[in-house]
Amino acid sequence: MIKKKIIVQNKLGLHARPSALLVKLANQFRSEFHIRKDDMTINGKSILGVMMLAAEYLSEIELIVDGVDEEYLLEEIEKLFEQQFGE
Amino acid sequence: MKELSIKDFFDICRQRFVLSIVTDALPDDKKIVEPHIHRPGLALSGFFDRFPHQRVQLLGETEVNYLQTLPEDVLYERLEEMMTMNIPCFVVSKGLSVPNQMDFIANEKNIPIIVSRLSTEKLFWGLARFLHDYFAPDQSVHGTLVEVFGVGVLLTGRSGIGKSECALELIERKHRLITDDVVRLKLQEDRLFGFSTKDIGHFMEIRGVGIIDVERMFGIEAIRKESRVDIQVELMPWRENMDYERIGLTNQHTEHLGIEIPCIYLPVSPGKNVSVIIEVIAMNHILKTYGYDGAEAMQRKLAEEMQQKARQRTINTHNN
Repeated sequence: MIKKKIIVQNKLGLHARPSALLVKLANQFRSEFHIRKDDMTINGKSILGVMMLAAEYLSEIELIVDGVDEEYLLEEIEKLFEQQFGE
Repeated sequence: MKELSIKDFFDICRQRFVLSIVTDALPDDKKIVEPHIHRPGLALSGFFDRFPHQRVQLLGETEVNYLQTLPEDVLYERLEEMMTMNIPCFVVSKGLSVPNQMDFIANEKNIPIIVSRLSTEKLFWGLARFLHDYFAPDQSVHGTLVEVFGVGVLLTGRSGIGKSECALELIERKHRLITDDVVRLKLQEDRLFGFSTKDIGHFMEIRGVGIIDVERMFGIEAIRKESRVDIQVELMPWRENMDYERIGLTNQHTEHLGIEIPCIYLPVSPGKNVSVIIEVIAMNHILKTYGYDGAEAMQRKLAEEMQQKARQRTINTHNN
């Protein structure tokens, strides 16, 4: 299991479109993927959960990956956040 | 190009427009070849340069009154000239009677005169609508058409994917079948409608069972003869890693006969209850038509929340 904290750099936060991209990406991997924000932990492979986090601009979230391809998954997710979901 | 024989036209429209024949008989070879109607006022006054003779010629009170004012020789000459052209038929409104000469020449030239009891206005619009619909382009598609909560849903997808089975479940849930397997699409008043290709009843093939008669089995409330086509649902086999719609903020469309309708690509897998999803699609379509989009509403609420939190964060950082 790997845990990693990350700051949301999207001005609009993790809204519908980025959430969809994130979930689509996560579903291509076999590892479990959870996101924690404050006291809420959700399954990162489910769109509604990710949207419900309502992770706003500059908020801190924790990515939790667990499974055979966890490193690759984390790498790809980080890339997505770095590119600010292409926005 | 489509055409409509005068005999068929008379049979179909006899009751609708209260028609009767003035001339001796309806000729076999006369056909309507285009959906437009012409009121031949100018031709009757002698201007034949631009006379669309191939159209149905509608005579109202004005035209008939005008004919009555003409001296006999002029009247004869004009009508003679007019009817040397290949006119499909004359239709006279308000049950008016045309001058005897006209009747005589029409019989000679084999051009039928049909009289309607309707007013000119009603007859004109009624005929225009009827001809427009009759000559409207049509197209057949492979699919099943059902009406769910009043929404016409066209189920498509490759053979054996489960369109008929899905329709059967919807019928069980008190929705209605229009047609299975082949749907004839047609434009009516610029809206897309679907029918059965043949008016032989509501039969359906269920794999492993064979042909069943839906009307006999489920009763008259289980069927309809036609329905508007509001939305298309394409059933497709479930595949891993396929890009399925997750939020519903982007709407996809498909086109039939130049009309765009929303299209939903629905992955199906064994054990999945597709008919319930079709019901949800229909209800969601109704909500969207009424101006409410669930995906958009949720997106808006979350965006507001995130904005507020982001603002709060800036204030806090400033204060610190």
